Amino acid sequence: MDISVNPGGSVTVVTINGSVDGLTADQLLATLDAQVDAGRTHLVADLSGLEYTSSAGLRAVLGTVKRTRSKGGDLRLAAVQPQVFKVLDLAGFTGIMKLYDDVPSAVASFGVQA
Amino acid sequence: MGDALRVEHPAVIESLPRLLAFVDDACGAHEVGREDAFAIRLATEEVCMNLIRYGYAGRPPGPIEIEFARAADRATVTIRDRAAAFEPNSAPPPDLVSDSERRRVGGLGWHLVKHMVDEIAYRSDPERGNQLTLVKLLKERTA
Repeated sequence: MDISVNPGGSVTVVTINGSVDGLTADQLLATLDAQVDAGRTHLVADLSGLEYTSSAGLRAVLGTVKRTRSKGGDLRLAAVQPQVFKVLDLAGFTGIMKLYDDVPSAVASFGVQA
Repeated sequence: MGDALRVEHPAVIESLPRLLAFVDDACGAHEVGREDAFAIRLATEEVCMNLIRYGYAGRPPGPIEIEFARAADRATVTIRDRAAAFEPNSAPPPDLVSDSERRRVGGLGWHLVKHMVDEIAYRSDPERGNQLTLVKLLKERTA
């Protein structure tokens, strides 16, 4: 797994590439926690390069959704690939999270609601 | 049935990359399609993570053994361990409907396993340990 963070303006884009599994999910959660700790609660996860996630990755995502929403923000997903979408859907996450076709749409969604 | 491939590692988190690399490589060697390989990897990881996290709780981690075999239209992953017996039907149901504030992820791993594979068989034997067999009916052909 490879993660990069682009704080940008009011919305922070976290790009997650590769695979999130039981070993790498801790690194993902630490990166997402660090954003929330720094006051960045409007987060977009760019998943265009994410090929795989297990329930460990879902746990990190759900924890961050809860934290950001409790502070008036959100974690929104962009460019989810079909296999990862299937896992999110089976887990019931597509009903509680906002998903967008691409990063610009996800970033813009915060402006619409602000 | 084609030649079976087999690997064994201790049930610790550091073993996970090698266990997953084994199923990835086995799927590649047996020309399992991408979507089916994803499902096999996910089911295998969820089972292994359960063993790593909870299986050997309270005692030193024992082995996780994975065997992979492919027949014409099916891939079979057999996972053996010496952990406490696990009754698959006793796994808690996942929470798929609560709002984000109340949502729990407990039970999600086993829920994913059941959706990723087509057949699941489990037996626990005091002498030989536990054996979980996952069968994936292959939809794709890469050959």
